[in-house]
Amino acid sequence: MEYALITVAYLAAAVFFILSLRGLSSQETARAGNTYGIIGMSIAVFATITASEVDRYWLLIPALVIGAVIGRNMAAKVAMTAMPELVALLHSFVGIAAVLVGYATYISQKKSGTVFEVEIFVDVFIGAITFTGSVIAYLKLKGSMSGKPLLLPARHLINLAAVVASLLLGRWFIGFEGSGGIAPLILMTLIAFALGAHLVAAIGGADMPVVVSMLNSYSGWTASAAGFMLGNDLLIVTGALVGSSGAILSIIMCRAMNRSIVNVIFGGFGTDSGAAADAAPSAAEEGEIQETDVTEVVAKLQAAKNVIVVPGYGMAVARAQHKVFEMTELLRDQGVNVRFAIHPVAGRLPGHMNVLLAEANVPYDIVLEMDEINEDFESTDAVLVIGANDIVNPSAMTDASSPIYGMPVLEVWNSPFVVMMKRSRATGYAGVDNPLFVRDCTRMLFGDAGESMDGIVGELRAKAAPAATA
Amino acid sequence: MKLGIPKETHQDERRVAASPAAVRRFVDMGFDVVVESNAGEAASYPDDAYREAGATIGDGDASFGADVVLKVRAPLAQDGTDELARIREGATLVSYVFPAQNEDLVERLRERKITAIAMDQVPRITRAQKVDSLSSMANIAGYRAVIEAANEFGSFFTGQFTAAGKVPPAKVLVIGAGVAGLAAIGAARGLGAIVRAFDTRESVRDQIKSLGGEFLTVEIEESGEGKGGYAKTMSKEFIEAEMALFREQAKDVDIVVTTALVPGKRAPILWTADMVESMKPGSVVVDLAAEQGGNCELTEPGKRVVKHGVRILGYTDMPSRMATVASDLYGTNLAHLLDEMGGAKDFGVDLENDIVRGAIVTHESEVLWPPPAPQPAPQPSPEPAAKPAPAEPKPSAAPKAAPAPAQPEAAAAASTSPVKIAIGIALAAAWLWLRFGTEPSPANGATRELLQHLTVFVLACFVGWQVIWSVTAALHTPLMSVTNAISGIIVVGGLVLATTKVGTAAALIGAVAVLFATINIVGGFLVTRRMLRMFHK
Repeated sequence: MEYALITVAYLAAAVFFILSLRGLSSQETARAGNTYGIIGMSIAVFATITASEVDRYWLLIPALVIGAVIGRNMAAKVAMTAMPELVALLHSFVGIAAVLVGYATYISQKKSGTVFEVEIFVDVFIGAITFTGSVIAYLKLKGSMSGKPLLLPARHLINLAAVVASLLLGRWFIGFEGSGGIAPLILMTLIAFALGAHLVAAIGGADMPVVVSMLNSYSGWTASAAGFMLGNDLLIVTGALVGSSGAILSIIMCRAMNRSIVNVIFGGFGTDSGAAADAAPSAAEEGEIQETDVTEVVAKLQAAKNVIVVPGYGMAVARAQHKVFEMTELLRDQGVNVRFAIHPVAGRLPGHMNVLLAEANVPYDIVLEMDEINEDFESTDAVLVIGANDIVNPSAMTDASSPIYGMPVLEVWNSPFVVMMKRSRATGYAGVDNPLFVRDCTRMLFGDAGESMDGIVGELRAKAAPAATA
Repeated sequence: MKLGIPKETHQDERRVAASPAAVRRFVDMGFDVVVESNAGEAASYPDDAYREAGATIGDGDASFGADVVLKVRAPLAQDGTDELARIREGATLVSYVFPAQNEDLVERLRERKITAIAMDQVPRITRAQKVDSLSSMANIAGYRAVIEAANEFGSFFTGQFTAAGKVPPAKVLVIGAGVAGLAAIGAARGLGAIVRAFDTRESVRDQIKSLGGEFLTVEIEESGEGKGGYAKTMSKEFIEAEMALFREQAKDVDIVVTTALVPGKRAPILWTADMVESMKPGSVVVDLAAEQGGNCELTEPGKRVVKHGVRILGYTDMPSRMATVASDLYGTNLAHLLDEMGGAKDFGVDLENDIVRGAIVTHESEVLWPPPAPQPAPQPSPEPAAKPAPAEPKPSAAPKAAPAPAQPEAAAAASTSPVKIAIGIALAAAWLWLRFGTEPSPANGATRELLQHLTVFVLACFVGWQVIWSVTAALHTPLMSVTNAISGIIVVGGLVLATTKVGTAAALIGAVAVLFATINIVGGFLVTRRMLRMFHK
């Protein structure tokens, strides 16, 4: 009877998880989706701790309570701009949990046999890679570690050697009586830790959206592997859902950058195609950078009928999204049609910009995706590019030698007036020159995006105030 | 060639067929113009002004007896004066005729072999715009409707902030955004009112907006585009929705100007008695369709009435109330028409000319009205034609990307190339060999379990794959954090180890795993909730 009850509970939980993912497909149903997820998880946890087998409550209750408090605090205090770091960090917890479960299961000797041992080995391997990979991603996103790819010589060989060594250790691991195989298991775990760290360290900062979604996928496969190990269908199903979700996100991100997933994972951006880029430096457009100031920008914005804002990671760094919203409101009050164009890989997380704009109260129906808005730049009077660079780089379309050639970009240069808000003249994350800077239509507004937005909002207010009282 | 301009005898008619400026055009074209004495008096054009323009002043008979007689109103037969009888047989008459409503008149024109050109029948084609006096008169009527309304209305049109308090702007609703409606919108905006306009034709939306009006419409897909630039009669559902909209507006607006006409029919009742009743006392309704029966149920054509405290103006002589400019514009339209007919030297009826063919009613004892082969609608609603794209649902990035990976499979299923058939046969052969060619061995427990789990795993991957593609790009971050929370399901793995059946070491490690997984679950769900709360429309 108990077996049937728990099976039904797990089935219900799995159904709720599917509903949860389904709910996330649109804004209207997204909150319900999250609630379904919570319900599913509650059912699963409740069913498991009430099982007759589980009786060490003095151990389990504190673990659940402490974990819940820590999780709550992290979720409550994280700034929306720090969302990528948090997501990466949370992935690492899944990884370490999987490793620990693997070890505990092995020590407990609940089952035995080759199939079981292989399952433990795989679970620990994936969990370990997820753990260190996520930690490195977290450090990179947080800025504690350079975003530049770490490119060791013969890094592909190192990775290959690590995998081969793990396989050999796996052969050694199988067939021990009791917990005798703990030594190869620990050795393999260390190798997997190193492999995970190295894999992510070799990926450049600009590819972080892909990395984060890859790790998301790994954390799912980890849970699935644990499910095989424990003979638990709920873990398998849930892990598979999460794993495919992360995989799809990775694919979407890669398509948005016109790069293959293999290229991203093993690439170390800019090295493989770097030679070609160096060979044809003459393709870069020559011209003078034209600077502008807040006053001119405000005048242009006020005279415009249609304005499109293109936010990038710079907006997140400067935490300028609230100022951007204020500007949007002021302009909309004056009858200017302000919209936002979001590139799929803008920011450091898929959908990062949407979250930031939502936080700043920007209504989501004026926030449009690249495909929806790319044709409208021609009829737009002014474009405001806030801290974005590679996603508006015309050489992606014109310069076959550019490393980002072929990546779909927002065609802001079709508008007669483009303001680029940038901290400096430096290249973007991809390390590619942007000929847009020197085009006739472009004006550069150098400085911190937050301060520039302060200036624009202040000036708009000053101009709007007398008009309102007249 | 003699051209006569008689005085209008209709009692409410202040217009005259031509202003002195128009007469100068006729003279320049080579016509010999005779203007009846005092013809332009009511329109503030003295005889001397016509003389200066090159006309001679004559009596009624002289002007009616000309080769071409230019009039505003159709020839009258009343109080013993029969204007038609004064026109020579075989002469040409240019005036309003309204042949559909005046069959007797048409018959008499035919009998007298008069060539009658009806200014109300000028086809509404682009080339004929310069001749289109209905448009010039409608323009005047629309403007005047607002002026009349302002005259009746007891407050400012424009909002004002005065030391004695603030006055809200008047709210004007214009029904029907044809020439008259648009003129009314422009005039009301010019006076500072808030203007809303209703029309069944989507194509006039931009015109309304360009004049500063707000376009009201109902949520039913039906184009009101009829032929000849008029709106057509709408379906019952549409009219019901329209009426509901008007009832709502009635409580709010101060001025209503109705301009809805359906050609050849009584004007539709759009402003019912109960709408009038629900209007604020002191509100004004100006019914420009009064002559065709009126759009307002309580309109009395030609009169000003007060019903439920609302002033309803059913004046049918709006253009005549601005006779000076109306005569000038009408005269200019006539000049363009005469030019189309060849001027003084080559004057004649050319039935190949589409303007003349459309407007001619009788010629040489023949009734030529109605004209054959109606012109295609002059406003082929440019909006739907120019933008077929919005009809297609705009695919977001995710669903758009979705078909790409599916395509090879779809193609594989669709086409049956020899290679694919070969693969199928090879697979079937492999199956048969594995099934019958090898010793059947019973699967042990672990293998059996593994295979069952594998089935579940593959199915779950498939479900996940199908579900995730529909997620919109904007929600990728929440999706990631929610899946992250869900992957905390690994907690179950730790929980099942919290049992006395395993050693303390294993249980402790399991508890640590539970701790990490719980952070992940709680943190993931809460942060997702926080994010999703921020998304709003």
